[in-house]
Amino acid sequence: MTVPTEVHPLAIEPGAPTDPVFVGVGEIPSGRYPDRTFIQSLTQVAVRALRDARMKPADIDTILLIPNLHSADQQADLVFSRMVEELGLNGRAKASFMIHSGGSTSDNAVRVASGLISSGHARNVLVLQAECWGSADLTEMVTMLSYNGIPAQWERPSGLHFNAIGALITQRYMAETGSTPEDMAGVCVALRKWARLNPNAMYRDKDLTVEQVLGSRMISDPLHAMECPMLADGGVGFVMTTHEDAQRRGQDSVRIVGSGGCVSHYSIGQETNLATLGWKTAAERAYAQSGWGPESADFVEIYDSYAAVTTIALEGLGFCKPGEGARWVSSGATGPGGELPMNTNGGLLSAGHTGVGGGTALLAEGVRQLLGRAEPERQVAKHDRALVGGSGGSYMDSQVLLLEHVRTGN
Amino acid sequence: MADTLTGDYRTGLGRGELVVQKCTECARLNMYPRYACPFCQSEELGWQKVSGKGVLLSFTVSRIGAPLGFGDELPYALAVVKLEEGVQLLGRLEADADGDWHGYSCDDPVEFVPEGATGDEARPIAWFRRRG
Repeated sequence: MTVPTEVHPLAIEPGAPTDPVFVGVGEIPSGRYPDRTFIQSLTQVAVRALRDARMKPADIDTILLIPNLHSADQQADLVFSRMVEELGLNGRAKASFMIHSGGSTSDNAVRVASGLISSGHARNVLVLQAECWGSADLTEMVTMLSYNGIPAQWERPSGLHFNAIGALITQRYMAETGSTPEDMAGVCVALRKWARLNPNAMYRDKDLTVEQVLGSRMISDPLHAMECPMLADGGVGFVMTTHEDAQRRGQDSVRIVGSGGCVSHYSIGQETNLATLGWKTAAERAYAQSGWGPESADFVEIYDSYAAVTTIALEGLGFCKPGEGARWVSSGATGPGGELPMNTNGGLLSAGHTGVGGGTALLAEGVRQLLGRAEPERQVAKHDRALVGGSGGSYMDSQVLLLEHVRTGN
Repeated sequence: MADTLTGDYRTGLGRGELVVQKCTECARLNMYPRYACPFCQSEELGWQKVSGKGVLLSFTVSRIGAPLGFGDELPYALAVVKLEEGVQLLGRLEADADGDWHGYSCDDPVEFVPEGATGDEARPIAWFRRRG
């Protein structure tokens, strides 16, 4: 299915006073932290993001919440403004609410925050996310992952679950591209190399080889255990404000050059292009809006809960030849020192799958890298432009954000 | 729990037939069944029995880690099948004679298994097997 791309420029000019920009990120380590509570995690990422943005809680007028999946009860705390109270913003905050589209929530949260800021409905927006998947009851989480995003009437009765969804995509991708099990395992290995440089990554201390991946147990053919993401605790926050405000504070910032998206399906059984998904359409829309092409980005951060969902995105976005994604990543092209650094935090597969937060962590890493604030051994050399890609549910959507570093005085 | 959409579909499976939704106004088929035709938005929708012949768009064998209530069925194979009528759906795939699914590849011809969901205890799902 080819969907025509309309050129639909952003309504805001670069450098306009109300151009929305990122000015700070905060993160806590991903992994298993059973002693770290949910609200504590959210508070920590809020405090760190505000410190990075050189703001105080009282500067924030709007809080956007990215949902957790480990507990509906605790998610209700977010919906009903607990973080306003935790941060001492009773009476000061104008609005606090949740945005949700699963793994692509962060991309949509940025769109919402941008609209609020550029229209004047908000001035300084704090976006918060935390997840306790790593410490939650595994059986409950597996059951939840076989319910959410899977139609109760048509697919749940067959016993579908999330690893099987990843496997259905991977199987078709391997068949269409001739990618071997070694090629697919090589993607996981490439991600691990970045994770080894990220102090917040779940697998920061463990090397990984193709032999180890292919030697791990078969979970859902063709996916081995080490090709399935590990559920993790973690949290990320970020602050967005106006270009004018960032300049007044003398801060470097990150602006949004454009975005593109494609919601290609709800049920995995109704995706007609299992080996390409919506990425080509999303890319065309993002590039049409921004004037960018695949050559524009210095580095990329793309949702990677399974190797194939990332290589499909790389191909659709035009970073490598169609069908070559897995071989290209396995060759080291996207690893430390490679031609196109990708998922420089280790991605969901090696930094940890923090639920809806996996995509948020990639976005925050993109902003951090653009601002030049990653640890020296992980910081990419050229950090002017980045592409962030997200996907939610059963890879129902393909979301693209194009981000650009704005230096003070520009 | 049957509703106006699942009722007729599941009744069809129970008598060994695969039916898909058909719009009575524009006559197009659609899956999964919906409350309004996705092509012309008509709410007058009926059903059509289909051949059950199709191709395997993809499949996976779930070996470890199943949803609650499915653990005893491991290993089992899930398949996305595109029917020759043009619509597609997720179903289960029968194992080969050796009890495994190693012989299957994407794009293999498959067919609906009429007896797959006819028992009283059967889950309301379409089963497929190798064809030709």
